Amino acid sequence: MLKSLLYIFGFLIVGEFVSWLFQLPVAGNILGMLLLFIALKLQLLNLEDVKPASDKLIKYLVVFFIPYGVGLMVHFNLIAEFWLPITVAVIFSSILTLYVTAKILEKSGK
Amino acid sequence: MMQQFFQLPVFGVFITLIAYFLAVKLRKKWNYVLLNPVLIAIAGIIGFLLIFRIDFETYNVGGKYVSFFLGPSVVALGVFFYEKYEEVKQNLKIFILAVLAGGITGVLSVIGFLLLLKAPEVITRSLAAKSVTTPIAIEITRLLNGIPEITAGIVIAVGIFGNAFGPFILKKSGIKSKIAIGTALGTAAHGIGTARAFEEGKLQGVYSGMAMCLNGIITALITPYLIELIF
Repeated sequence: MLKSLLYIFGFLIVGEFVSWLFQLPVAGNILGMLLLFIALKLQLLNLEDVKPASDKLIKYLVVFFIPYGVGLMVHFNLIAEFWLPITVAVIFSSILTLYVTAKILEKSGK
Repeated sequence: MMQQFFQLPVFGVFITLIAYFLAVKLRKKWNYVLLNPVLIAIAGIIGFLLIFRIDFETYNVGGKYVSFFLGPSVVALGVFFYEKYEEVKQNLKIFILAVLAGGITGVLSVIGFLLLLKAPEVITRSLAAKSVTTPIAIEITRLLNGIPEITAGIVIAVGIFGNAFGPFILKKSGIKSKIAIGTALGTAAHGIGTARAFEEGKLQGVYSGMAMCLNGIITALITPYLIELIF
């Protein structure tokens, strides 16, 4: 567990460092995720070495963003004022996204 | 007086954990999609803070310790992605193309609708990444100078929408392929959509999980450029 946690934080800090060093428009944790995927794919790293910590983190991922959801209360007025455009845009955009993605795969006969 | 007590980090941490714990129990009792545990936990905490007149900042002294773990969790998604990738591996070209097209459609269409409906720029910046998993969406919004808290709330709502209506919408559109249904749910409705995909079947679930990760990466890479083109 400790080893796998070390790997996760190791990739996180490398991602943050690369993002900071080159001033990239991509967050360090996203770079860390990409680098970890590449390392696993090139077999520079065993799945068993990272799996214990990553499984636990993924399992409780939803808990970690609860504080951000609570922060919505600060912006309640903004949401209340523009709830209609937000609702319309989000629903139609989601339907379009579902449709475009599914249609391409359906047409390819997969 | 009490405010000083609530500013102890343990308050924010404890109320977050207990709210989620109770919300999960509630969900087990009544299995209904709107009883999404995260949504219930958030609503419960907001209610508590309002009743006891506690500021969000006071709560977030402890809340920050919880949300800190979003960073390593995003990295852990790399492992999740790899595992799903190993399960299918074959012929991923069409899959990548579909997620790419769906991901770009998601970003452009939500920006387009919001511009058309004259929503303020800060809302557009906060919702551009609305289809992707919350931790990644939060990072994208931060880069775009939007409001991450709005992103978190809307992203959860998008997930619940996809979870509740996604399969119905797809079947009404004449989609039959299991891979297509899974991929669409993961691309449009991230983890909450993926939970529904797994209920539809293992194959749907695996493709949905992969699509969620891939769309997170795609959206993170393209959105800053798309926003810069528009504003």
